[in-house]
Amino acid sequence: MVNSNANALGIIFPNSYDSMVPELVGDRLMASIPFAGRYRMVDFILSSMVNSGIDNISLIVRKNYHSLMDHLGSGREWDLTRKNGGLNIVPPFAEKTVKVYNGRVEALASILQFLKSQKEKYVVMADTNLAVNFDFKAFIDAHIASGADVTMAYTEEMVPESMLESQASINSMYYNLDLDGTRVKEIHINSRAIGLQKMSMNIYIISREMLINQVREAYIRGYVYMERDILAPNLDSLNVQAYKYDGYLARIRDIRSYFEENMKLLDEKNLDALFSGGPIYTKIRDDNPTRYINGSKAKNIMAADGCVIGGEVENSVLFRGVKIGKGAKVKNCVLMQDTVIEAGASVENIITDKNVTITFGKEVKGTDTFPVYIAKNQTV
Amino acid sequence: MAKEMIAMLLAGGQGSRLYALTQKLAKPAVPFGGKYRIIDFPLSNCVNSGIDTVGILTQYQPLVLNEYIGNGQPWDLDRLHGGVHVLPPYQQASGSDWYKGTANAIYQNIPFIERYDPQYVIILSGDQICKQDYSDFLRFHKEKGAEFSVAVMEVPWDEASRFGLMVADENDKITEFQEKPKNPKSNLASMGIYIFNWDILKKYLEEDEADPNSENDFGNNIIPNLLKDGRQMYAYHFSGYWKDVGTISSLWEANMEVLDPENSGINLFDENWKIYSRNSGMTGHRISSDATVENSMITDGCRISGEIKHSILFAGVIVEKGAVIEDAVVMGGTVIKAGAVVKHCIIAENVTIGAGAVVGAMPTEDQKGVATVGSGVSIGAGAVIGPNAMVSKDVKGGEEQW
Repeated sequence: MVNSNANALGIIFPNSYDSMVPELVGDRLMASIPFAGRYRMVDFILSSMVNSGIDNISLIVRKNYHSLMDHLGSGREWDLTRKNGGLNIVPPFAEKTVKVYNGRVEALASILQFLKSQKEKYVVMADTNLAVNFDFKAFIDAHIASGADVTMAYTEEMVPESMLESQASINSMYYNLDLDGTRVKEIHINSRAIGLQKMSMNIYIISREMLINQVREAYIRGYVYMERDILAPNLDSLNVQAYKYDGYLARIRDIRSYFEENMKLLDEKNLDALFSGGPIYTKIRDDNPTRYINGSKAKNIMAADGCVIGGEVENSVLFRGVKIGKGAKVKNCVLMQDTVIEAGASVENIITDKNVTITFGKEVKGTDTFPVYIAKNQTV
Repeated sequence: MAKEMIAMLLAGGQGSRLYALTQKLAKPAVPFGGKYRIIDFPLSNCVNSGIDTVGILTQYQPLVLNEYIGNGQPWDLDRLHGGVHVLPPYQQASGSDWYKGTANAIYQNIPFIERYDPQYVIILSGDQICKQDYSDFLRFHKEKGAEFSVAVMEVPWDEASRFGLMVADENDKITEFQEKPKNPKSNLASMGIYIFNWDILKKYLEEDEADPNSENDFGNNIIPNLLKDGRQMYAYHFSGYWKDVGTISSLWEANMEVLDPENSGINLFDENWKIYSRNSGMTGHRISSDATVENSMITDGCRISGEIKHSILFAGVIVEKGAVIEDAVVMGGTVIKAGAVVKHCIIAENVTIGAGAVVGAMPTEDQKGVATVGSGVSIGAGAVIGPNAMVSKDVKGGEEQW
């Protein structure tokens, strides 16, 4: 990687789709939801950008961002402690013209001055509800080669039922694309079409200058959403190209999919697919290695460092620092960091958030289609 | 800006008694305890004790060690003033010198120490596994009004003659020093950890350098000279876990003791005294449905499908189906193929053990050897490595080495 810096800056919207997982964002936001044993959702898109040579990255946060700031710190773990660019967390700016933003237009309007002063030719934008190892370099190259005004990444996937059913508010719109060749012909918002659809990943690239102009115009007119208000109505005048992503993708859209996407990583094919690109960086905790004590039994699990396992664990994902007491039984569970399952307790099909304790001998069970979720810091 | 105390860490040891493990690696860089290297212990002790300036004296195979230390960030030792510095011997106008001995290594770095104008200097050794609070040691040094203090451990009397021994009175004042004596007068073994008043240390280093007959060694020259001059010398008793891991068997033993923190006293799960290390950055480890894991430690990046008993696996070790690992220390990136049997041994980094190969054996009455395979070695399918073997070159499939 000799001086492979991309001529693009990154903008991440860490609060997008918060409303789809209300349980998990009680006191955090989408970006800091723990995922895959030792990561947070933001690690995937952030590492992908870094691995593609993007080293000027701004996160426009909206609310509940303490956990994210704690996680990212100065950005050192992502190699983003830079004199020029680096990591830039933009909190809502208390100013009479810009309230806490709702859509991307408002969010971007709050950093127009910043955008004007940057040097990169392009801007790439992404949410954090996808765990992907995304090659932004190829994406940027494709955009430049096509001469498009905007390029947006999409995947072909079955639209999940939960999305159709969801009373999802205006804050969690999703977008299906109709293509003419590779050009986007139409953007359907919250379409009720079922089956295989071209779903937007909400990953965009646009030239910085055009973005500034579009946002300024839209903001003056009181527009809020980039897709609904800028792209969808202007597909005739704007050359919007679609970029198909074929790689592994975990989309967090509700608590059940959160459970399933963690579980899917127990299949090494999936694990390898998600982690086979560039490395995914995360905050270092300096845990000791995981210890399996005499009398423990582990089958088909993924575990991060710092766990102490004295009981039986099967088909489960253990985050950092999970303790499982002697004689405890854990089956089909996602246990987030520092969960304690005390001796003799038995849990099945549950998700425990950070610092949950299941005390001695207790039994907690969900079903495979409806995992029980236990909120942060709770003791059962 | 003056510092109260800075640390000088002697890390130039060749570690020749670790043979295959130190062919390409200085002893302090030898991996330990699943995700650490030996040097993580003194460095973490420094930071946990409030020492923020550490000079690391290297000269043997420093490449891995230099890269590992980097800017010191994993130990929180990347500081504006101070922090960690690797200090190899260097060329001067008057010529260049290798470090002739432990004292000479410090002597050559007097200008480094003076940049921080310290009151005290603590001399540490880079080949010990020990969790120790140096600030308590300094408190003792100051309370006694000492000019020199040494940390000592009580050892069994019948083993005392293997150590450098401090004879001390009831006030812990040192009256005599015996280097590996036949008839020990004390069972207080020096741990090779010293605190000096800097003015005293500087004076004795300069005098020692001027003496052409000196071996420029702390144990053999500096300490006897201090004694001769009747300096204020005190022995600080340390009673925690301490192990010199200078030999294959002691290194293996110390790793096994990590698996039994309740009884061995070396607890790496101590939130109040964390041992820091450079992170592998790998994803969590996987235990497949075919695996069994008993009483072991496993870290990030491992993929386990075989049978693991009472062993320590470092980052990214792959154990295929049907392989059996017992009482073994398996370092990072090693691959153990299907059906291989690996017992009572140390396997270094990035080794490949072929399918069905046998490495080491559980100890018997006659042999208690710890088989050792050096880093990057490839052991062919079906090869047999005996329990006393020291392997540093590839072994072809089906061959035997004892």
